[in-house]
Amino acid sequence: MPQIPRTTEEYDAVIIGSGAGGGTAAHVLTAKGLKVALLEAGPMLDPYKEFKEHQWPYDVPHRGADEGGAEYFGKGKPFGYFSTTSGGWELEGEPYTVGEGSQFTWFRSRIVGGRTNHYGRMSFRFSEYDFKPYSKDGLGFDWPISYSDIAPYYDKAETFIGIAGSRDGIPSCPDGLFHTPPPPRVHELLVKKSCDNLGIACVANRRAVITKPLNGRAACHYCGQCGRGCQTASAYSSSQVQVFPAMKTGLCKVLDMAMAREVLTNGNGKATGVLYVDKRTREHKIVRGKTVILAASACESSRILMNSKSKEFPNGLANGSGMLGRYLMDTVGFGLSGYVPALEGMPHYNTDGYGGAHLFMPWWMWDKHNKLDFPRGYHIEIGGGYGMPGIGSFQGAARRYGYGAEMKKQARLAYGCNVGFAGRGEMIPNIHSYTEIDNNVVDQWGIPVLKFHFKWTDYEWKQARHMEKTFADIITGMGGRVTGLSAAQREADGISIPGSIIHEVGTARMGASAKTSVLNGYCQTHEVKNVFVMDGGSFVSNPDKNPTLTINALAWRACDYLAEELRRGNV
Amino acid sequence: MSNLSNLVPLEALDRRAVLKQIALGAAAAGTVEMAEAQHVHEATAAEKAKGAYKVKEFTAAEFKTLGRLAQLIVPADDVSASALEAGAPEFIDLLSSQNAKLAEIFHGGLAWLDAEMNRRYEKSFVNATEKQQTEMLDALVAADKVERTRLTEEAGYRKSGRYNDFTNYTVARAGSLGPGVKFFDWCRRMTVDAFYTSPIGIKDIGFVGNGAYTKYETPQAAIDYAMKRSPFKA
Repeated sequence: MPQIPRTTEEYDAVIIGSGAGGGTAAHVLTAKGLKVALLEAGPMLDPYKEFKEHQWPYDVPHRGADEGGAEYFGKGKPFGYFSTTSGGWELEGEPYTVGEGSQFTWFRSRIVGGRTNHYGRMSFRFSEYDFKPYSKDGLGFDWPISYSDIAPYYDKAETFIGIAGSRDGIPSCPDGLFHTPPPPRVHELLVKKSCDNLGIACVANRRAVITKPLNGRAACHYCGQCGRGCQTASAYSSSQVQVFPAMKTGLCKVLDMAMAREVLTNGNGKATGVLYVDKRTREHKIVRGKTVILAASACESSRILMNSKSKEFPNGLANGSGMLGRYLMDTVGFGLSGYVPALEGMPHYNTDGYGGAHLFMPWWMWDKHNKLDFPRGYHIEIGGGYGMPGIGSFQGAARRYGYGAEMKKQARLAYGCNVGFAGRGEMIPNIHSYTEIDNNVVDQWGIPVLKFHFKWTDYEWKQARHMEKTFADIITGMGGRVTGLSAAQREADGISIPGSIIHEVGTARMGASAKTSVLNGYCQTHEVKNVFVMDGGSFVSNPDKNPTLTINALAWRACDYLAEELRRGNV
Repeated sequence: MSNLSNLVPLEALDRRAVLKQIALGAAAAGTVEMAEAQHVHEATAAEKAKGAYKVKEFTAAEFKTLGRLAQLIVPADDVSASALEAGAPEFIDLLSSQNAKLAEIFHGGLAWLDAEMNRRYEKSFVNATEKQQTEMLDALVAADKVERTRLTEEAGYRKSGRYNDFTNYTVARAGSLGPGVKFFDWCRRMTVDAFYTSPIGIKDIGFVGNGAYTKYETPQAAIDYAMKRSPFKA
């Protein structure tokens, strides 16, 4: 049997994945002078070719409906034609399966930068109590680290990435080091007034967008199109802000179209490198490293570890506890929209702003749980304004008013009068939600695929009902009326499909004991000292804060530790 | 539209400097320096001068019917021209030429429409009077509303959630107008989309964004207008 080709170079670290975790690792380690190989399962990114920033719908003959009107058939890109290259919930040739009675949908990106090229860029610190949830209410599990362990790394990540926001002193959402945020838009001011009356905190949003120049990156120019990718890198993406600069140092070798299959070990409890499939040639290849960092996204990293079976590790690498794949979590999502007559006839102005909402509502009842029938909390995101017209934008008006002059008039009147609210809440980790290898199915690269199992419990359903009532109260408080879902629809679909919020975390959780967790507090596997997991896989809980900033901070902290252990010869 | 003194007109940006910078910036460079970091705005100034469109999928008669439907669905008024001028028939023709399923929906639907018009008025759709044409469309809209109410109720009891494919419609309650309801829904949605994604429609609706600014401000006049009309008058 011919030997599998391997690199002569032994890298200080082989990093699998180039998103928030992998990008941070590449940046931090190369800044320390270490040599890294960065594996990405998709192609290299060229922002100038692929980011469709500032295009008008009429710049393309299909106006954004995509070739053959694919959008109309639900077969276009997940966030529309103009959104940046970003993968989706279904990838050709890379399936997954779902256990009977479960529902789960798995988003994967296959491009340098991963999901950070398009994500919402909400950047909230976990609070002190978020790291000790079990101590607070007896549910779930505590993290082995505390807020004070990670706070210096939130500082580093925020300073380097750049987050615009304001310091509000809210215990559920600690303040960070912020750039000046843009002022609220009109509909957001109305939302804030309504929230004031309801006792709901409503403050400047915190997004990974810079409003003053930083490290050669231009300040935001307020086109509001972060989801299309930002050519000036004013909105953070790991590709532009971390991977490309790391490449410039000459210390970061990017291997694109490289689908990691397994982590290789030497029979003496240490990893030696990564076996991957070169997607261009379908060949197996090996990249050698002193350490291996998995940052392929929570479930993908666990898949690689579970598939890394050997005599020494018959249940998969670093899985002596059997905890690999366990306690998969997503965010609880629910949305409701409303129509606000006060906005009718308002002189139109540019509402693009820095993309996303300029205000948000952090969890405001963190110390009032005795008044609630569910544990934990959620934050609220706001939608509205005069968005750029696109495919489907005026379907509602068309259906309501039929056709003709009246419809045209009503579309004009209603434009910009809608507001939307999206709740993003914390689920309690449960034993019914996990992933495992499906031994009957391989993907087109011959790699065994994941099988998902997932259940929302009453905790999550009750939280979603609280969201619904709250959003309706905010809308009516603005003099608006609730639109959108009918009562019957809410009953059937009143909570997000698991995986659809794309905050899937857990499955390789950290913990104090090797018996009940995969990683220690430094994202290092208990069993194999030179293997680390630096994506959302390490999460012990999934607080009502979007995970990316915490992935950045944890990865930074883990890299400081890794480099020091490497220097001392401990890994 | 007051208070936009901070607006940087796109025309003022030196496109050549931007293009040069971008040409220098290889894939790996990633970021560009602030001084030159203005955008390439692709064709933001004006709609490209259009040559005569060559119809790809439909017969001359079908294309003419799509044009008449465009005039009726989004008609010209004192603010803007109709969906015909905004390129709706071309949009539908182009996508139908790329997608056999879409082509089938429109070929079949247009044929159904003429057959129904002939049955009712002994005239094709384009040859009928405006009153006859709108009578036909009104009947379809009424049937559509009945059907939609039923579907909304039904959707609530289906756990499947996302529903993407219009061809899965069941039109049991729409009676003999069933095929027309489905066709008109497609025709209306694509005509409306074509209109509001055109330069004419974007101007009509009053979208004023997609620019580059050094600062973001919310005009006080807009704030005052909405506050006065809201429950928060004080």
